[in-house]
Amino acid sequence: MSPMQWHKYVLTFVITAAIFVTAFFIAGTFDAQRVADIRATQEAVSINILSLETQFDLMGSLSCSTISDNPVLSEELNTLAARLSVAEENLGQDDAQVISLKKQYSLLEIKDYLLMQHISDKCSKFKPVYILYFYSNKGDCPDCGKMGDVFTYLRETYPGLRVYSFDYHLDLSVLRTLVALRKIDADKGLPAFVVNNRAPVYGFKTLQEMQKLIPELKTLATTTAVQ
Amino acid sequence: MDAGALGLYVCLFVALYFEVFLMISFFEKRPSKKDSYLPARYPSVSMLVPCFNEEKTLAGTIDSLLAMEYPKEKLEIVVIDDGSTDRTAEIAKRYEQACHAPDYSGAVVSFLQKQNGGKYTALNLGIERSHGEIIGCLDADSFAAPDALMEAVKMFGNDHTAMAITPAMQVYKPRKMLELMQSVEYTFGIFYKKMFDNLSAINVLPGPFSMYKREVFEKIGPFKHAHNTEDMEIAFRMHANGLRIVNAHNTYVYTTVPTTVRSLLRQRTRWSQGFLQNAHDYKYMFFNRRYGNFGMLVLPFALSAFVSGIYAALYLFYRFMSAGADRLIDRFATGVPLTIPHAPHIDLFFLNIGMMSFVIAAVIALTLIAIWIGSGIAKTRLTPKAFLAYFALFGLLAPLWLIRAAWGAALARESAWR
Repeated sequence: MSPMQWHKYVLTFVITAAIFVTAFFIAGTFDAQRVADIRATQEAVSINILSLETQFDLMGSLSCSTISDNPVLSEELNTLAARLSVAEENLGQDDAQVISLKKQYSLLEIKDYLLMQHISDKCSKFKPVYILYFYSNKGDCPDCGKMGDVFTYLRETYPGLRVYSFDYHLDLSVLRTLVALRKIDADKGLPAFVVNNRAPVYGFKTLQEMQKLIPELKTLATTTAVQ
Repeated sequence: MDAGALGLYVCLFVALYFEVFLMISFFEKRPSKKDSYLPARYPSVSMLVPCFNEEKTLAGTIDSLLAMEYPKEKLEIVVIDDGSTDRTAEIAKRYEQACHAPDYSGAVVSFLQKQNGGKYTALNLGIERSHGEIIGCLDADSFAAPDALMEAVKMFGNDHTAMAITPAMQVYKPRKMLELMQSVEYTFGIFYKKMFDNLSAINVLPGPFSMYKREVFEKIGPFKHAHNTEDMEIAFRMHANGLRIVNAHNTYVYTTVPTTVRSLLRQRTRWSQGFLQNAHDYKYMFFNRRYGNFGMLVLPFALSAFVSGIYAALYLFYRFMSAGADRLIDRFATGVPLTIPHAPHIDLFFLNIGMMSFVIAAVIALTLIAIWIGSGIAKTRLTPKAFLAYFALFGLLAPLWLIRAAWGAALARESAWR
């Protein structure tokens, strides 16, 4: 029997651990890149919003068609939401960077929402359909996942539908103001949502129920056949 | 991170540890190239061919032995029919009779027939009735390269401590997907067998062309039933008695492999269950420094690979099924119609790349390097299709035979031969 070479066992352990540590750091680099990517997208969205606001201010007597022909940021916000969701999955919902990104995203959503309202007030031709959706991932909303699926489907089917989703528990003063203004009461049960400034609706709703709740959907163009 | 994923990391750490250990062994002592030197001495060799219903391949096996580049007067071929019900005996008798012809100049072929009692009984009869100083075994579904015996004898000559020798085993003419899968697996096996040799920790003396000095059987006794894996048990027993096994990596042997899922599962279940049951019989060797790397590394790793294989498969299966079920239930609950998923985005951002992906990539990379080294040792040619078959099928099939073997061992049920 050849003598045991304990140093080889130790060396192997060190190399294996080093591979694990390297994998950890590479994964960390990827995550950091993801966060940077989201920040860049948010910045782009922010610039676009500012540009639209300025355009709106400048508009005065200009034709509303300039804006209604150019349906603003819905696509970019959707992309941002998808990216944020990936980051949340990888870094965890309690990660400081994720929370910061979510706050920025929520602010952008609110700004976009306000801008849409201004445009729709000014331009009678522009009649957006929008939903303010309040969810929670703190474990107090078992139906939020399903509700999210319904909204995702609606968003994909009706590109003109603007769904602004907010983490109800996000510590953001603007969000608290919006919650107060729209009279959202989490005690009545999340998920909650507001369609076109109507009274809040609480609890999970199926796709069919949503289609009844939002008759305006019929006025929107679809990407697929609606069932 | 959930406990399930943590368990997966533990499995990956063990797998990576083992691969790194073997790689270090490789760089410490690289396999030698084939040389043209002849052995200093030609010991007498008895090649035993145990067979049970091998009418399709027996003639090829005997022919490959008769074609051996070895002095014919030093070579004896003993075919032992373990109660076959097909034409096996007829074919073997034909060879035996042919060697009595006056113009015959090949090795002596003798034929023994007995009632069916299992492969180990056939081998033991062959050992008892043969006369060679070296005893070789060749399953009747395998074929040895013409210089295989010469290479094995050279190895015995070069290393006087070697008491048994294992060959470099390859799949014979792989064509079907399952055969291609096994050709990659066997090539990986060529690498790790050689590394086990570097560590003096070879764990099995396979049926195709394992060679023993006769004194092995005189010292530790004949083959045992050993849960239908006598080739594994004899290796365990040799380690237990301090008898050295070496790998003659230049000894090429080609074996036919199962071509259907059913026969593959049966064969591998027998091997895996045999390992579990023999490991139980020799449990005192686990983590026992007296048995060197065999007790400290190979046995514990083999067992952990067994457990990890089952764990990873069940965990991933559970995750996949529960995610699918949740999705389906949600779809019914939400009323959202089931649609064909969109074509994936070509966007690095959405790729699910986390720490586990990189660790898995490291394990796969080391596996590929090991296969590449193995193919260099045995001069095998592996096609992209073979790699595709290996990576697509092995992960799906291996858990099945592992689970079956664990179940069989738990019930102490005997595994089936074929």
